[in-house]
Amino acid sequence: MYVYRIMLFLVFGGYLLSPLLMDGWGDPSIAWYRPFAIWGGLIALTLWLEQKRKLDER
Amino acid sequence: MSVELLGVLLLGLGYLALLFGCGMAVERGWVPVRVTRHPVVYTLALGVYASAWAIYGSIEFASKAGFGYLAYYLGAAGAFLLAPVLLVPIQRITRTYQLSSLADLFAFRFRSRWVGTVVTLLSLLAVMPLLGIQVQTLSDAIHLLTGSRYSAAVALVFCAVIAGCAVLFGARHSHRHRHDTLLSVIAFESIIKLLAMLGLGAIALWWVFDGPQDLQQWLEGPGAAAQAATPQLEAPQWRTLLLLFFAAAFMMPHLFQITFAESLSRHTLLQASWSLPLFLLLMALPVPLIWWAAQSTNESVPMAAYAAYVMTEHWWVGALAFIGGLAAASGTMMMIALALSGMLLNHVVLVARPPEAQNDLYGWLLWLRRGLVVAVIFGGWLFAESVGRYHSLTNLGLTAFVGMAQCLPGMLALLYWPGANRKGMVAGLIGGISVWLAGVWLPLLFDISVTTLLFMHSMPTDSPHWYNVTLTSLAVNILLLILVSLFTRTSEGERSAAEACSVDAVIRSKRLPLEAATAGDFTAHLAQAVGDEAAEREVERALKALNFTPQERRPYALRRLRDRIQANLSGLMGPSVARDIVDRYLPYRHNDAPLTDDIHFVESRLEAYRSRLTGLARELDGLRRHHRQTLAKLPVGLCVLGDDDELLMWNQALSKLSGISGDSVIGSHRDSLPAPWPTLLGSVLSATHTPLYKQAVALHGRDYFLTLHQAVLSGHDSRGGSVILVEDHTEMKWLEDELVHAARLASIGQLAAGVAHEIGNPITGISSLAQNLRYDTEDPALLETADQIQQLTQRVTKIVNSLVGFAHGGRQTVPLPASPATLKTISEDALHLIHLARSGEDVIFTNHCPGNIVVRGDDQRLTQVMVNLLSNARDACQPQGNIRIEAGTEANHAWWRVSDDGHGIAPSVKDRLFEPFTTTKPAGEGTGLGLSLAYQIINEHQGKIDVASPPPGQPCGTAITLWLPLYQQDDLSPHAPDTDC
Repeated sequence: MYVYRIMLFLVFGGYLLSPLLMDGWGDPSIAWYRPFAIWGGLIALTLWLEQKRKLDER
Repeated sequence: MSVELLGVLLLGLGYLALLFGCGMAVERGWVPVRVTRHPVVYTLALGVYASAWAIYGSIEFASKAGFGYLAYYLGAAGAFLLAPVLLVPIQRITRTYQLSSLADLFAFRFRSRWVGTVVTLLSLLAVMPLLGIQVQTLSDAIHLLTGSRYSAAVALVFCAVIAGCAVLFGARHSHRHRHDTLLSVIAFESIIKLLAMLGLGAIALWWVFDGPQDLQQWLEGPGAAAQAATPQLEAPQWRTLLLLFFAAAFMMPHLFQITFAESLSRHTLLQASWSLPLFLLLMALPVPLIWWAAQSTNESVPMAAYAAYVMTEHWWVGALAFIGGLAAASGTMMMIALALSGMLLNHVVLVARPPEAQNDLYGWLLWLRRGLVVAVIFGGWLFAESVGRYHSLTNLGLTAFVGMAQCLPGMLALLYWPGANRKGMVAGLIGGISVWLAGVWLPLLFDISVTTLLFMHSMPTDSPHWYNVTLTSLAVNILLLILVSLFTRTSEGERSAAEACSVDAVIRSKRLPLEAATAGDFTAHLAQAVGDEAAEREVERALKALNFTPQERRPYALRRLRDRIQANLSGLMGPSVARDIVDRYLPYRHNDAPLTDDIHFVESRLEAYRSRLTGLARELDGLRRHHRQTLAKLPVGLCVLGDDDELLMWNQALSKLSGISGDSVIGSHRDSLPAPWPTLLGSVLSATHTPLYKQAVALHGRDYFLTLHQAVLSGHDSRGGSVILVEDHTEMKWLEDELVHAARLASIGQLAAGVAHEIGNPITGISSLAQNLRYDTEDPALLETADQIQQLTQRVTKIVNSLVGFAHGGRQTVPLPASPATLKTISEDALHLIHLARSGEDVIFTNHCPGNIVVRGDDQRLTQVMVNLLSNARDACQPQGNIRIEAGTEANHAWWRVSDDGHGIAPSVKDRLFEPFTTTKPAGEGTGLGLSLAYQIINEHQGKIDVASPPPGQPCGTAITLWLPLYQQDDLSPHAPDTDC
């Protein structure tokens, strides 16, 4: 259940901060793939949490 | 028909033929089940979320809002990231109650067919623009590739083929089950569209641009001005978009069906929490690349949505985009048609025309569904041609998503607010839908001036129209839901359903008796509603699912059977119709007794939820388990009965004692327990004073004595009923009986000792007179008589001494002599004495003892033993019966056997043969001391007695074998007591 709380925190935190993702469009100083890199990082984090949850439930 | 048009037609039909082949391969089992049921296939099937909007609409949206297009993907990713707390609870409810659509779920939760119908109509109106997008993108793509004015007709041909595939793969069987073929086909389409998008992205990055560096240079150079001019979404608008797509990801009819009705397990859904976002990331990544590539080749891209066509001038790039679009559109159309047809069938058609008892109910439902599948797809084509073509993809898509978002407040209430009721839900939905219809849906059909009606003119003008409508409709929806729910009454049924749906609650099912008493009654009752065949199949399915037999009679089991049948019918006809049928034809029997919780059911649910409990709830559950285990493992039999006499607990000790397993009787009525338990438990329940001591019962062929204690479960926190303890006192009763018997023997022994003392004096007198007689006569006959009188008086004296010895604790007062005793002589003496009795003369006695067997002992007492044995043998024999005396040696012992061919020893006597006063003879004919004394004497001689009745190899008779130590020369010690005493 602690894992679920982390996920809730991630999703709602991400929801509030997500408008920052749009800043890269049309800004040469920011790499165009930055939103995708952040997104990929979140997926990796979710995958890790999912593995942790599986271990917790064993 | 132009060559280009024919080419596109062949390309599209070729792809659909490939799809058909893929489906047939799965259908015929050519693809292993471990592949079709792999979680990856499920994730790819969820990829149906990426419809034609993801191929074309996203590019158009990126051109209008930059990275704002990502909201479509990130909203869905967020919904699946929350799978453990959002999707898994919904999956649990839908699987438990066989709910296959959002309308089913709401109708179940709010116990209202109106809610189901309103949600179905809302879904129909909301998905029409989405279906329109799929058809329109197909039609536009064909037009773009071929320039033909027949693109709409070709799109209609594709729609017809897609409808055929939907019927074939999704509506082929009458019973609802997981569609492996359909999911595999949709997964295949997801792979195709993903490959198409990645391929187009790669073309854009490495062909149109010269790699990432070239792209970055373009973005910093020639493309910078165009990007800077792209309008950006405000943060509130972005968040609203995220919310819309978050809701759409699991509430759109087709996505709800795949996410919940088609998922294999909780684990599969949880795996999708990261794998679907990964899929969406890969789908989203090429979107800006394609758009920038198109912009770099053509500064004023005429149709942003079809940027892939304009970024190169090669036909195969266009064909790749077309195939990707077709894969996305066909999958979405199939799933929408299948999901929506089920909703329309359950919540519109069957509500308007309830099913009657038909011979082929399943066939009737199946054909209705197929018709609706075709109608929905054709409706989508019609919408695209008559309405969609006049609007942008963004406009159409947002209209659909804002519409479906109207179910979001209801969904949150369903999961987290048990106080919401059907009136609030309907009011909220109607309010929200009204704003949505007036704000964005009707303006698709009519002139834009409609939007200025009502309250729309009061909206801020600097915000996008969809944004204002979304906020207003959701605000109205939520406000009405809360206010109406707070100020109106919630029915008992709704409360019960709310508990069933609530994330934290466990269903507190009530123990109500059913009218139907057996599973057979279920079939008969249900046949009135759905026909004989369907009733039989449904009852059989439910019994099989619950692992019950058709002979099941337990009230608990029948209640579960009813629930299961309702759930199965719900999957077939929707929860409203199923509930009506079950309530009407399988009703509960209402009586005045207070309702009590179905504790056994609550416990079984708690067991299932164990891994989900946390914190205090987990601790409490741990305590519950501990107490439960304490009762289950109690070494005393324990059962708990409800106030209605339903058995709630039957612990392990009682299972062992009764030979009845707890699983087979828990949930039964007391009267249906195997004998003698109904009477036994009934007697303790009706007793005014407990415990009931040592109740005699016969259990599995043996006599038991049970003591029963009862306590009534009452008090403030109690759910009523009684707890009964069953103690097995059989052993104790036996010991008590033995004690009484021993006391009786002791008192008789004392009595015998007294009598023996009194007999001793006259016997001494008789012996003296016999002695005198010897001196007074020379007559040989009289001398022999005098000898015999003396021998008999000696024997009486020894018996009297034995009785006295027995009465004094079994200890012989006379020391055992160690003199030699010849068995043959003793046997002859005993035979002589037996013959003096003048009875049994018709029985044949034979002495086969060898003369050389000499044992150590007292010949008088051994004679007494032999006389007793011969006497018993004689009484057991019929006239002309044979009694044999034999003897032999073995090691240091001699065996001495008396065998007869009489009626033998009764089994009931055999175990206590050597107990005093044990006799089978009529009263007055036997003292029952003969064998007891024989046993005692042989014991004193350090010997033993074996009894065989009948002897081995013989049909009847008895053989009693005495084992005695052989006489040795050194047995006579210098201090051996004088035997002549």
